[in-house]
Amino acid sequence: MLDKILSSRFWSWLFKGYGIVFLIFLYLPLGLIFVYSFNANSINMAVWTDFTFDWYLTIFGGANSQSEFDAAFTESPERIFEVVRNSAVVALCASTISTVIGTATAIALQRYNFAGKKFYQALLILPMIVPDIVLGIALLIFFVGAGFELSLLTIIIGHTTFLASYVFIVVSARLAGMDTTLEQASADLGAGPLTTFRRVTLPQIMPGVVGGFLLAFIISLDDVVITYFIAGVGSQTLPIFILAMMRRGLRPQINALAVLLLAFSFVVAAIGLYLRSRKT
Amino acid sequence: MSFLKITSAHKAYRTPEGAMVHALNDVSLDIRNNEFLTLLGPSGCGKTTLLKCISGFEDIDSGEISLEGKDLKGVPAHRRPFNTVFQNYALFPHLNIADNVGYGLDVAKVARKQRDLRVEEALELVGLTGFGSREPNQLSGGQQQRVALARSLILRPRVLLLDEPLSALDRKMRENMQIELKMLQDSVGITFVFVTHDQEEALAMSDRIAVISDGKVQQVASPTEVYDEPANEFVANFVGTSNIFTGRIFEKQGNIVTIETANQRKVQAESDRFGVGDHVQLILRPEHLKFTPGGNGVPDNCIEGVVETCIFVGSDLHLHVDVGKGRKAVVHHRHDRGNADEKIEAGSQVKLYYSPRAAHLIKAVVN
Amino acid sequence: MAGSGAILARKRRTLILLLAPLTLMLSVFFLIPLSIMVIYSFLEPGLYGGVEWNWYPYNYGRILGWPLNDFETFEVIYLKIFLNSAQIAVMTVIVTFLLSYPAAFWVSRMTGARKNLALFLITLPFFANMLVRIYAWLLLLRPTGFFNTILQSTGLIAEPLNLLFTNFSVIIGMVYILTPFMFLPIYASVEKLDYSLVRASQDLGANPIQTFRRVILPLTAPGIIGGSVIVFIPALGNFIVPAFLGGSKVQMTGNLIERSFLQSRDWPFGAALALLIMAFVVILVMFQISRQNRAAERGIA
Repeated sequence: MLDKILSSRFWSWLFKGYGIVFLIFLYLPLGLIFVYSFNANSINMAVWTDFTFDWYLTIFGGANSQSEFDAAFTESPERIFEVVRNSAVVALCASTISTVIGTATAIALQRYNFAGKKFYQALLILPMIVPDIVLGIALLIFFVGAGFELSLLTIIIGHTTFLASYVFIVVSARLAGMDTTLEQASADLGAGPLTTFRRVTLPQIMPGVVGGFLLAFIISLDDVVITYFIAGVGSQTLPIFILAMMRRGLRPQINALAVLLLAFSFVVAAIGLYLRSRKT
Repeated sequence: MSFLKITSAHKAYRTPEGAMVHALNDVSLDIRNNEFLTLLGPSGCGKTTLLKCISGFEDIDSGEISLEGKDLKGVPAHRRPFNTVFQNYALFPHLNIADNVGYGLDVAKVARKQRDLRVEEALELVGLTGFGSREPNQLSGGQQQRVALARSLILRPRVLLLDEPLSALDRKMRENMQIELKMLQDSVGITFVFVTHDQEEALAMSDRIAVISDGKVQQVASPTEVYDEPANEFVANFVGTSNIFTGRIFEKQGNIVTIETANQRKVQAESDRFGVGDHVQLILRPEHLKFTPGGNGVPDNCIEGVVETCIFVGSDLHLHVDVGKGRKAVVHHRHDRGNADEKIEAGSQVKLYYSPRAAHLIKAVVN
Repeated sequence: MAGSGAILARKRRTLILLLAPLTLMLSVFFLIPLSIMVIYSFLEPGLYGGVEWNWYPYNYGRILGWPLNDFETFEVIYLKIFLNSAQIAVMTVIVTFLLSYPAAFWVSRMTGARKNLALFLITLPFFANMLVRIYAWLLLLRPTGFFNTILQSTGLIAEPLNLLFTNFSVIIGMVYILTPFMFLPIYASVEKLDYSLVRASQDLGANPIQTFRRVILPLTAPGIIGGSVIVFIPALGNFIVPAFLGGSKVQMTGNLIERSFLQSRDWPFGAALALLIMAFVVILVMFQISRQNRAAERGIA
């Protein structure tokens, strides 16, 4: 009865209808930013006046047709370029380091049996469940106490502490699905442990490694809370920069910046999701 | 000097439930150069463990494995001059066939030109010329099997280890590969150590068979010897089917002994080894038991019984005969088309007889 | 057991090499900082930020009412804010569950490419920047925002509704950010649901509501509970959502922590607040792990 009911036309339409409402809930807010980012009305974004590229152009230093009032709220292209570069440096370094660490750990826990295995599994979950704000202030206290100057380096370290766990999970799943006799076959054919890793294990887990890297990259790129506490004055990242802009008031320029950030995140995420779904 | 020699090898491990398993329990084995040796045994008997210890994927706890007198202890798998054909072939899915076959040469940094030449040769050897650029998943099971063989043989190993390589193939393919493997072994002149649980496979291919059970070597001998003269009851039952009668020799005339079984049945066998008073087991293969319908014309030395089931398997007729007191005898009778004597049904009275020469005696374990 | 041999020794060396980077990193930059934070929560705040190295449990007294000294007083507002945070987090869990549960069934009944597309579309917003997602709701809810503009232009309301800076707006923002965390575990358990059990229940005479309550709900409970835990934890500590969608009207513990670190510079007090949140998290996670272990045991038996 129930599965009949579930598959009956009425319920099937109800589910479908709900599904569409659910997707609208997920995408309407983001779509709105996208539409607003082309709206020339700088006083009230909710009222459409004209189509414009100005908000994008101001980011790159073009279209200086704004009033003085607007200019006060608009950041210079140099400043935007600087924070974007900071974000890129942090995301690249943090995700690269955590990919190396996470992959090494995944191999250790998947391929070896040892006494402390359970301990490591618990330890790896910890950074993911500790609330961001707790990790953020703990790192702030530590860095200040240990005499680190808050900089891009402290952000990179802070991100790496929790990103390695994400990479670990993605790579572990891939390793678990890999046939271990391939590694034995390689050793059997004369390859030492390093050669086996380079020629057999790594190519086999590559989708997982790349997927883990991309996931780490996005999380690092989007991180607000932890970065908020451990970013120094001269080491603002893009999200912190947007946070500061939002605190000063909602300007159309934020729309354009948000859309660019969204587009970039979605492209990276799409590549990552595609790699994960692909089975070799 | 012996070739590949395993001396008193022991290996035990603990199962996740905590029980100790003696995978290898004092295993000694002398493997000769250029022979086709099969490790035959039921699953879990230790034969795969032994193979892994030879290839270097696992250490033995004690004992010695040596090649031409050199102890292999501490030599990792990738430095041993042995290669393995894995049960699931373990072809690298990210490499094409040529790169799979050439893997060992690439790792050893053999010059490109020579490498390509040898890959060609190896593919030709297994009948896969022209398959080099294909991907492993485009090949059938039998073809993947050949690639795995070529990939191992190209390195000219001293010993080729094969871990149940035919188990994933269907019956027809398996029989073809048995012949091919044997011919291949003859032509390359490399020692093959072949693991299987399939006794027919072992009998068909091997120069010698090592029957293994419970981590122990039960018998090492040629296929005919293992079949005709099994060393113990396990071998007799595992390799082929056996009718076994246990008893004591009470009479000996020339080399014909007469044995009285526990339930007062008298059976005869030919033996030089055993004399009056010995406790023995008489092993009789089902195809050596003949039968006549009950009634007159009874030869000496026969066993009476009632047919319980009669199964026609094509070439043979398999009879299960109740010979009294709960004992059963199995008879394999060559199917003879149109022979009226074969009209045997369940319930028929039969007399079973055999030539004493066909019976094999082993020492009985008396407790 | 005798002589594990050279092969094992080599393995052990590789293992140590593989684990060293993580061990080093997590000890120095994770475990030590967390321990220092615990210590800080028991130290006296310095006059101009920083700490005095004196035993000072009174930071907790300000929040919990005990212990106190002459300088610190118990302010009930902190507990109120903490309770309000917990309330918002619980509401977030409930709403994300109500949204995700039917959606999980919707997706699980699809097949092939459609299913992959639906999963992709639902997971994708998870990768959008949290700030951008909050910002979107700011645009939707503010007095001159999307909803008010539409409602006003259709004449349904004369004055803009006060949608922002309420518990409601904070919960909406939290729900929007955390829905994927609820959806994915629920989807995983719905996907595993064996429909033959549903049929068996009907066959045994249960009506649809009974079947749902006695079969479907218990079988998908692991996903619901798992999702609830991982939604509750970040909701409890979040301070960005209330900062923008709650304004000065809705305070959460996260805002208190942020302020004591970056404005009032009372680090020990902030650390004490953070530890209260951590205590909540630890209890929840231990509950979840013991539940999982029990489920695993039952699975074997």
